[in-house]
Amino acid sequence: MVHFTAEEKAAVTSLWSKMNVEETGGEALGRLLVVYPWTQRFFDSFGNLSSPSAILGNPKVKAHGKKVLTSFGDAIKNMDNLKITFAKLSELHCDKLHVDPENFKLLGNVLVCVLAHHFGKEFTPQVQAAYQKVVAGVANALAHKYH
Amino acid sequence: MLSAQERAQIAQVWDLIAGHEAQFGAELLLRLFTVYPSTKVYFPHLSSCHDATQLLSHGQRMLAAVGAAVQHMDHLRAALSPLADLHALVLRVDPANFPLLIQCFHVVLASHLQDEFTVEMQAAWDKFLTGVAVVLTEKYR
Repeated sequence: MVHFTAEEKAAVTSLWSKMNVEETGGEALGRLLVVYPWTQRFFDSFGNLSSPSAILGNPKVKAHGKKVLTSFGDAIKNMDNLKITFAKLSELHCDKLHVDPENFKLLGNVLVCVLAHHFGKEFTPQVQAAYQKVVAGVANALAHKYH
Repeated sequence: MLSAQERAQIAQVWDLIAGHEAQFGAELLLRLFTVYPSTKVYFPHLSSCHDATQLLSHGQRMLAAVGAAVQHMDHLRAALSPLADLHALVLRVDPANFPLLIQCFHVVLASHLQDEFTVEMQAAWDKFLTGVAVVLTEKYR
């Protein structure tokens, strides 16, 4: 069970409140598909993924990224209950989507890079540490119901 | 295997780092120790006091090695052979730690360079550093 200190929670929620979830979601998913191209295997129906600019401009990537990151926002509101919060989604990713849990770690790391890009110096080592803890917690929660 | 485009991207990334090896290297280590505290076991001389001078000096040394790898990106095994020996025989850093360092490297570059560090550059840099890590751990057994 992951435990977050008051400082970690404050750092996470403060940065999250300044973020544009819609744009950041699209960027994070797009970046995942560019940096780790094999992750495109889940998105055959998304149309043109032939180049970095095609991927980043793809409306389906943006829409799906927004959906994923909005869901991530639930994690931010429930940092002490990640496994319960993501139980249903975990089952979905295992039974219907067949996503290797390794991919949750990749997306989490890419999201951290996107935050670093946006927030620059404000994304201190301490803030990074808090966010890496959150994304690891979410990744574990999403993998928890796999069987 | 690196494409011509990837080689160019990697060289571009290095151009942004060159001249800042100590600063970026020190921040890289600081982030590594802060985010992944277990990595401190490999740096007992550095991590106990977070002495800025030592971090800068070791950071400089690590990034200088990265720079050398960039210069020889087409023959990494030959160029990094002494460092590979060092990691296999002396340092013996568990291979699982290299992705942690690589993640922190991306965060250093993204937070300092922001728009200058493009998605394409991150992709090429990740591929390159992953290749370096493979070479450095290849002689482990």
